[in-house]
Amino acid sequence: MVPKFKPSPLRIRSFCTKTVQQNPHHWPIKQITKTNFNESLSEIKNHISSSDFIAVSLQNTGSFSSPWHRVSTFDTPETAYLKAKFAAERFQILQFAICPFKLQASKVIAYPYNFHLFPRDELKMGMPSYSFTCQTSYLTAMAKEGFDFNTCIYDGISYLSEAQESTVKVRMGNPMAVDHATKSSSSPALSVADTVFIERVRSRVKHWKNACTDSDIKTEALVTSLRKIVLGGEQFGSRPSMTIDVCSERQVQLVLKMLEDFSDVLVPLIIPAKGGGTQAVRAVLTSSDEDKDLLKRELQTFEFEQNKRVRGFREVIDLISASQKPLVAHNSLNDFTFIHSKFLAPLPPNMNEFICSLRLAFPQVIDVNYLLKDIGPVKKMTNISATIAYLKNRFFAPIEMEIPNQANENEGKIHGHNVVKICQLFGKLCSILKITPDAIESSDDFLASAINRYANIFYSLPGSSQEPTNEEIRGWTNDKRKVSCEDVVFLWGFRERISAGILKNMLQGSHEVFAEAFNVRMVDRSCAIVVFGKPGLSNTFKNVMNSKAVSGPLREMVSDGLKAAGYETYQRVCSSGLWESALADALDKTLASHNCLSEAAYETKQSEIYLSNELINLAEL
Amino acid sequence: MKKRWPITILYRAFSSSTTSTTASFPLKHVKKSNFDSALSSLRHHVQAADFVAIDLEMTGITSAPWRDSFEFDRFDVRYLKVKDSAEKFAVIQFGVSPFRWDPLKQSFITHPHNFFIFQRQELPLDGAAYEFLCQTTSMDFLAKYQFDFNACIHEGVSYLSREQEDKALKHVNSTYEDESLDSWHSLKEIRDTHLFNIPDILFAERMKDRLSEWLGGLLRNRDGGSEVQPSFNDSKQQFETIFFKMRPAISLNGFTSHQLLLIQLVVRKHFKDLAYLRVSGENSCSQNVIVYIESESDKKMLMKEVKDEQKIDAEMSIKASIGFRHVIDLLSSEKKLIVGHNCFLDIAHIYSKFFGPLPLTAEEFISSVNKYFPHIIDTKILLNSNSILQQRMKKSSTSLSKAFSVLCPQIALGSKSTHLALQPSVKVEVEVDDIRSSNWNSGVKHEAGYDAFMTGCVFAQACSHLGIDFKQQSSSENLAHNEKLREHVNLLYLSWTNGEIINLSTGNRTSESLASNKRKNHYPKILFECIVIVWGFPSHLKAWDIRECISKVYGPTSVISVYHVDETAVFVQFSRAEMVSKFLDLKGSLDRNNDPISVLHPLAKLLEGGNTCAASYETYKEICSSTVSKVLFADQAKAVGIKWKTKLVESSDKTKEHESLRKVKAVNSDPSCGERTKNKNFDDVSNDSSYSQLSSDEIIDSFYTREAKQI
Repeated sequence: MVPKFKPSPLRIRSFCTKTVQQNPHHWPIKQITKTNFNESLSEIKNHISSSDFIAVSLQNTGSFSSPWHRVSTFDTPETAYLKAKFAAERFQILQFAICPFKLQASKVIAYPYNFHLFPRDELKMGMPSYSFTCQTSYLTAMAKEGFDFNTCIYDGISYLSEAQESTVKVRMGNPMAVDHATKSSSSPALSVADTVFIERVRSRVKHWKNACTDSDIKTEALVTSLRKIVLGGEQFGSRPSMTIDVCSERQVQLVLKMLEDFSDVLVPLIIPAKGGGTQAVRAVLTSSDEDKDLLKRELQTFEFEQNKRVRGFREVIDLISASQKPLVAHNSLNDFTFIHSKFLAPLPPNMNEFICSLRLAFPQVIDVNYLLKDIGPVKKMTNISATIAYLKNRFFAPIEMEIPNQANENEGKIHGHNVVKICQLFGKLCSILKITPDAIESSDDFLASAINRYANIFYSLPGSSQEPTNEEIRGWTNDKRKVSCEDVVFLWGFRERISAGILKNMLQGSHEVFAEAFNVRMVDRSCAIVVFGKPGLSNTFKNVMNSKAVSGPLREMVSDGLKAAGYETYQRVCSSGLWESALADALDKTLASHNCLSEAAYETKQSEIYLSNELINLAEL
Repeated sequence: MKKRWPITILYRAFSSSTTSTTASFPLKHVKKSNFDSALSSLRHHVQAADFVAIDLEMTGITSAPWRDSFEFDRFDVRYLKVKDSAEKFAVIQFGVSPFRWDPLKQSFITHPHNFFIFQRQELPLDGAAYEFLCQTTSMDFLAKYQFDFNACIHEGVSYLSREQEDKALKHVNSTYEDESLDSWHSLKEIRDTHLFNIPDILFAERMKDRLSEWLGGLLRNRDGGSEVQPSFNDSKQQFETIFFKMRPAISLNGFTSHQLLLIQLVVRKHFKDLAYLRVSGENSCSQNVIVYIESESDKKMLMKEVKDEQKIDAEMSIKASIGFRHVIDLLSSEKKLIVGHNCFLDIAHIYSKFFGPLPLTAEEFISSVNKYFPHIIDTKILLNSNSILQQRMKKSSTSLSKAFSVLCPQIALGSKSTHLALQPSVKVEVEVDDIRSSNWNSGVKHEAGYDAFMTGCVFAQACSHLGIDFKQQSSSENLAHNEKLREHVNLLYLSWTNGEIINLSTGNRTSESLASNKRKNHYPKILFECIVIVWGFPSHLKAWDIRECISKVYGPTSVISVYHVDETAVFVQFSRAEMVSKFLDLKGSLDRNNDPISVLHPLAKLLEGGNTCAASYETYKEICSSTVSKVLFADQAKAVGIKWKTKLVESSDKTKEHESLRKVKAVNSDPSCGERTKNKNFDDVSNDSSYSQLSSDEIIDSFYTREAKQI
């Protein structure tokens, strides 16, 4: 390994030439659309199975609609999750970049792919999504990067989530072959009605079968077809078939049992009803045993092909999930709420369930932001390129990027660079943190245990590349105390466009609780949070605000509309989904609806938030 | 709505079969780059026009399946649905086609414009980010017609509504009122927090020296001293001497924002005759300058000068962001006759995008629309409400493309079609950038500009069939005042589904009379006070199950119809209004009791699972008015914050009145005889058996239409 702090000039130079080669704009990232999706699948599959890690990166149509919807330092894991959930449910993924990569000392061998997605309703069932929201600023930014919206919408790959696929299967009403377990579950005792039913069906089937087998001998075509109409015969593919309507699951069993008598030539199929259950049983006539096997195989391939068509891009998600490889992401909470909601199932109502459900599909998720935290106090690093540049200045950890992919040359613009940058950053971080052994092959276990330490921690600092608001944050990032939610009060109802400083000045003289140290920060234009340094003061303040005894300048401010609420009200805002564009409105609405209910209904959790960086550790939950 | 349903669309394919005889130069596409020139030419065309046809393309129609238009929409609910659609979806293409009668050529001349529009957030407005909804099927549909999304997003013309413009201007005014105060304040904070560490102090000292050196040199110069200060050479790029507002100044380049803050601090602290300013220079990048000032009053003057200039700049940039709204302002100020096809939703979009937020009620909306656009005509109504035109249309569908191909075959199919010569037709000549053609065809694309053109042609032809002679029509007379058109002006379909028409000038609502033969109007008149909405019931229950379930309690004729709103909700229409409250009372008590009797109750099947909710039609309206749009109605109700299971109806005066009315009618029958006898006396139900027959058909019918939509 290269010494960290004493780089030899020679080596730096040699490294520099390499950097020129790996100019990000020439990274051959394979662009995948509907046209080349199927042909690329097997290649992707191979790369996934031979990789050590898989980096993922998403390009969405938006992230947060109002300033306060953004996950911020005053959020608890729970509220952060609820915010991410709200975004994931509304916005859409247009590009999904994955990059299976291998890490060999200071070399990253990466196979990046960028998939263009569009939630086309291929089955005309209002799936995968009936509608989605776009943020103009996101689309404009993508346009600036030369994104081709026409390709995306005309030729994007559609998909269905796992949950959607299972509902679709029922709704599509595809005939299902009967497996023997269900067929011979029990032989029910027959009632008179059952016997009548069976015999009636049996005679119909017999007549139909005879008609079909006889027809080729002497009857005319017209008579045959007439007979078919009368007997209710149909075609199933090239074979004649007959549909037997049933009213209950019991009748299904009866019909199946009866059809066993014809099992030499008839293959029973179950036609599911739209709302679940069985609509009918269909008997398909085969000419021989070989033909019967052929039919069964046909059914299987049909189902396989159709499943593939229905799943679309989720095929890739399934491959990743099946590989059980560790995933590397930047801003993982955001990405994985999207992934869960689009490809697995609707997002559960709380963080715990989300993590459990996600872990079933992806056992290890590593957020580069968390690795970064181990290096030392890093100021707001929301942008991957900036982070890489920062590390380059501080550490000597050259990473050679090798991308053996052949990018499709006819593609105009190459997108999905972030995923390669994530690989690069991850490689650098591993090298700096000495996670990577010199020879990776020899000690897979070492790597696994080293990585495990970092896995499944959802670092929830905002990770979008919005313009930094340095001045506002600065006062806070230096302050790394933990703050209990108890000491936080939300204030609103003041004049718009007031600054935190002015508000603080106004508060300072207004009441004795503000004689002690406290801090003020604007959440959005309509609302601020006040953090009390001394425990208990927040309650005093809230009580004062609600009592008649409020006097002096504070009374003046209250008369002007100033309102205050504790952290639990904010939690309620997030959980009730009142995502008004101004936090003040949301708080007001929540208070209004809450007043109708009993006060004790909501229990204040003793959660702690960190003013600076907050972590949600999945392993501890 | 028009043109979004696949069936309607298929007709569009006609143009692909057009013979090569038609001229096919492209539509005039207007994007950012040619907007200004297009606007000025359009201004002349609109001013000269007899009428202007418009058409819009949006990113979607309904934000959730249950927001689709139903027969069971009362007019206020219908408006709420249109409002929701106009608020959520974006307009991405706007077709404007001004038509002018040319007496010399005996023909209309039109200039179809196809504007790509896309609202960008160009101004630093506070609060929410601009966002819009896309309905997947609509986007896919547009894609099928090769809609150019790139042109729209990359090069679309942006716009500001009147309301947004006002807001932005107010914002500018208030910003420049308290700016001085704010900047003073932020400086105070800097003094408190920084200058504690040695590097900062050293840097500040260095800056202080440099500035006093510069200042010294400046003063020497003025006293007639030498020219150049050699010590400044090394930092010439960072300290560039310039003239700012006729005053000597230093332009600061290449400092970090922290360094700039320190410099600012130094200037304030140590130099009374220097002022630090941050001004927006060219290309909107900000420039930091230190200006030499003579006195405190000079400083004030300078500040005012800079502030005024910045304010003007800000106002200019707001004016520049108005963009496409200029076209709407033009249409509104010229008060021309606006022609659209089934355009109620279009008008709502225009209102919400270019004027301001849509009013809460249909009445307010209509009166404001009438102020902005005094004359609107809807070709779909025109074609359906006039018997001459209906005859012309040969009772075919009144979709735009169908109407175009039936009424204007000479344009749609090219003039070569011989049998058409018999039919008197209005000639339309198209002009695009000095190219003219009398049998123009833009090609196959499904574009707003082309649709506007078609709408205009249909209208011109319809006018001719109505007996309006353009040759006699004087150019000064407004076409909207023509007596043959007068009865059609300002009528819009509030809902095409149930043929409800609204008059924009009077606010009156009428149901369509003439065209009723065309629709499969077998629905009984809907009495909204007889309707209960039920949702959250077990998913395997279908309309007939629910009907059966309720009929067991109230008798076989109690339920007139059950209509699926979506898979999670149904409307149940009772035969009498008081049954609504009876049903809700009963359901409420069953919700509360969990004893064996309620389990055995016939309604238990409906209440199974414990999530079944029911309420009157008013609650449905309330749910429709919410800005939230969940895909399933049951989820929507939850999201709206409904926590109860049954909302009882307060016995309002209205229901009482109905009840008393019925009691009079039922006076002969013994109340103890049960529901059936009462029913016989109910005026609407003349024949029980036939009625129930009809309604069960209808249930099936409504169910299948829902299913057909889902498939």
